[in-house]
Amino acid sequence: MNNVLLHPDSLGTNLSEWLSGNGGTGLEKALSDPAGIISIIKEADLRGLGGSGFPSSKKWQFVAEQSANPDKYLICNGNEDEPGTFKDAHLLTHAPHQVIEGALITALASQINKIVFYINPEQTTSLDNVRIAVEQWETCSLFEQLQAQLETPLSIRVMASSGHYIGGEETAAIESVEGNFPFPRGKPPFPAVSGVHGCPTLINNIETLANVPHILKNGAQWFRELGAGSSTGTKIYCLSGDVLKPGVYELPMGTPLSELIDTYGGGMLLDKKIKAVFTGGASSSILTPRDIDVPLNFESVKERGSSLGTGAMIVVSEGTGIVKRVTEYVNFYAHSSCGQCPPCKTGTFYISQLLNKIDTGQASEYDLESLINLCKILPGSGRCHLLDGAMQVIDSSLTHFIDEYKSSLRP
Amino acid sequence: MSQNRDLNGTISYQQALGNYHLQKQSLEGFPAAELSMDEQQLLKDFHPDHRQETMTTLQVGPNKGDRCHKQIADVLQADSRIDAADLAGARIQETDVLVIGGGGAGCAAALMAAESGARVILTTKLKLGDSNTVMAEGGIQASIEKGDTPQSHFNDTFKAGHKSADKELIKKLVMDGPETIRWLIQQGMQFDLNEFGDLLTRKAGGTSANRVVYFRDYTGLEMMRVLRESVKNSDVDVWDYSPAVELLSNESGHCAGAIISSLQDCRYVQIKAKTVIVATGGIGRVHLNQFPTSNHFGATGDGLVLAYRLGARLRDLDSFQYHPTGVAYPQHLSGTLITEGLRSSGAYIINALGERFVNELKPRDIVAAAIIRECEEGRGVVGDSASGSSDMRGVWLDTPGLEARNPGILKKRFPKLIQLGLKSKIDITQTPMLIYPTLHYQNGGVVIDENGRSGIEGLYCVGEVSGGIHGRNRLMGNALLEIISFGRKAGVSAVKDRKTRGHKQITIDHISNLRRELMQKNMPMSGKSPLLFPQYAQYDAEKNTTASNESSGFCGVCDQ
Repeated sequence: MNNVLLHPDSLGTNLSEWLSGNGGTGLEKALSDPAGIISIIKEADLRGLGGSGFPSSKKWQFVAEQSANPDKYLICNGNEDEPGTFKDAHLLTHAPHQVIEGALITALASQINKIVFYINPEQTTSLDNVRIAVEQWETCSLFEQLQAQLETPLSIRVMASSGHYIGGEETAAIESVEGNFPFPRGKPPFPAVSGVHGCPTLINNIETLANVPHILKNGAQWFRELGAGSSTGTKIYCLSGDVLKPGVYELPMGTPLSELIDTYGGGMLLDKKIKAVFTGGASSSILTPRDIDVPLNFESVKERGSSLGTGAMIVVSEGTGIVKRVTEYVNFYAHSSCGQCPPCKTGTFYISQLLNKIDTGQASEYDLESLINLCKILPGSGRCHLLDGAMQVIDSSLTHFIDEYKSSLRP
Repeated sequence: MSQNRDLNGTISYQQALGNYHLQKQSLEGFPAAELSMDEQQLLKDFHPDHRQETMTTLQVGPNKGDRCHKQIADVLQADSRIDAADLAGARIQETDVLVIGGGGAGCAAALMAAESGARVILTTKLKLGDSNTVMAEGGIQASIEKGDTPQSHFNDTFKAGHKSADKELIKKLVMDGPETIRWLIQQGMQFDLNEFGDLLTRKAGGTSANRVVYFRDYTGLEMMRVLRESVKNSDVDVWDYSPAVELLSNESGHCAGAIISSLQDCRYVQIKAKTVIVATGGIGRVHLNQFPTSNHFGATGDGLVLAYRLGARLRDLDSFQYHPTGVAYPQHLSGTLITEGLRSSGAYIINALGERFVNELKPRDIVAAAIIRECEEGRGVVGDSASGSSDMRGVWLDTPGLEARNPGILKKRFPKLIQLGLKSKIDITQTPMLIYPTLHYQNGGVVIDENGRSGIEGLYCVGEVSGGIHGRNRLMGNALLEIISFGRKAGVSAVKDRKTRGHKQITIDHISNLRRELMQKNMPMSGKSPLLFPQYAQYDAEKNTTASNESSGFCGVCDQ
């Protein structure tokens, strides 16, 4: 546990300590062969750990191929606002240097000259620590070498995001960085072609970036061997809900869910039985006790009809109402909808009303039918992922716990 | 002086009464006590807060490692009454400001919040005004006399609190004194006046000036009368018989409302609020160390428990005030308070040998410790067959002497006391009353700032549930001032501070944290808190509350 990103040598806000320990070597190697960075990342099979699981090397390659117009941007996405997810804040607060070094290597790989740290405003300690860490990097000799290699000044900006959930979506983040309200944009154009102020823009999750210096330092093969089974690398799982010891645990990618809960989470609170696990935060679907053996990597969780997402695992024990939990999450989405797309604005509001009605025992069978119908109609009709996420969690709860919905209906 | 004692050295009620009358009729009367006692030693030896064998160390929560009374630890470290399953089907009501508690502090806060334009719900365990406020008899402090200053008020308060109070809080309190009285008068409250219509003032134990304004000997009742009317005439939505059983938290751990157990409908309701003001009062009804208490039936420390679970820090948990003059005989009135106004008007306290043993105007903890000392060292009255009680003990409060020195004063100034005497079949102008210290006030409580904010965002605590204003001992008249002054401040800033966007999520996740801590420390999970009612009420909240529509048809408290 905690072998790489949360290893004691990776922690701390003092740059010289980081450079004398795990740090620095990755950037030095990158500087000695900038053209080889992307192929190493590709060989390591580093994925987007903010939920997409998209190969990072592909994203980097797209941006590297674009010419600066007049700049190129890297947004380090620490907006993190999903229920049950708290890994990025943990990394930024306790181990900011590996994230910054990762961003610098990424900038070198894709020839980027503007880096933006985009951090949830409620995480004030993260913001403070990243600011302290960035100041130290800017006076470091490695930073000068990097600028020389890029042949242009490199700027790092640390900004608080708007604090809206949708602000974490790629195009919404771009709007936010431009100083606007985080309304998601339609695609295309894709950010890699035209992002912040029309410049090619790369957006990576904090945990993804944190892995980069370690891969460069120790090699792709080392990274591949970290994973369990066919998976590569490690994953930070955010364990919460009805377990004895919730928290962040860095484990080999592909660790079985049961091991996470029993070995690391100390088992269930009050020794209750497990009823369900909301994976990947709220915008994913539900795993039930028969999936308890699932290896936690992108492919295996997908095979069970769910998705790994951000690696958040919200464990729910017997005695907790699923309808109530889902209602809470959907209320969250209704609250977070930016209101730009009518199906999302009215859809999330309406389904949250329906769910509240069902949850408080006021609903009829007709209301439940409406809910089921909406689950078929609404997905895919918003610009961003918000509406789909909301519908996915409802759909999944209807699949597994339809009886609970029915028993809440008015006789 | 001849002294009546039993063979075994104890002094019975009748013997002590004989000693009293003998001494009263003697030429010297009751000379002042010799005042050369070491007060710190007296407190250390006899004050209940200093008895280490009744203390324990807290194992969980923000005050882990602090010492406090075992009974307090029991409620702070008990399991919640609520499980997530209880909330399935519980109605959600939204509001801007939720005030929990229908005493003076709660009403003042609710009135100010409503006046600032917020939607306000006030929930109370019993009925609006049914609280400790109505029991305050002595009066309310404010430095309004010529020659008196807020600075002297500050000095007296700080000194009486053994220099451990939060100076910023006292500063706010004393500066707000005159304005608080003005506001109360505007609300319609009456005070005793002289012939020119000026406020009458008197001295209290531990004060350096005449600073207590009052209305007869039921100042608190008069205060509650006007506050209740003001609340009824405002837009505040009052929920009677609705104790809070848990606070709600949002995604960042801030306070986001409360779960209410509606005793009338026998179901749970969730109130989602932008800010919550807890004004639930003290914890006297747990009867620390089996002391009788002057406290109201509802004083079971609910707010203390709720705030602690959400992560609010508490202070001075080992410090309580024992009012020196609680009724000790007859026993069915045990714990009933006799106003300190009596001592400030010049009544003596006399032991079973017919001697004064303490300066009656010393602060409450000193006088209380001195009375306990007299009883423990065999100079107090103990129960006998004539009184019908064997565990009764106490000393005399010399009402006949006071009446003799100021004819008519009892009838004019202390009508409620005369009534109390009549209930006990005692003519207090002729016969002294037997008194013993009674558990009166929780000095400590939730740590707050000068606007009543606790350490948890969105959570305010005002009144007895909060700590820091009185340090480790409270002066008479400062509690009434505190509840109005801080209640009003909290009401205003709760509206100012409220989050405009509201909470994304409301949960009871903090309860899981409590359970985790309890499990990891191997502590028993059998006890439940908040208590809501004293144990002898035998009210079974679980049995009488459900989240669904199915009412059990029986409600132990409200007869429905």
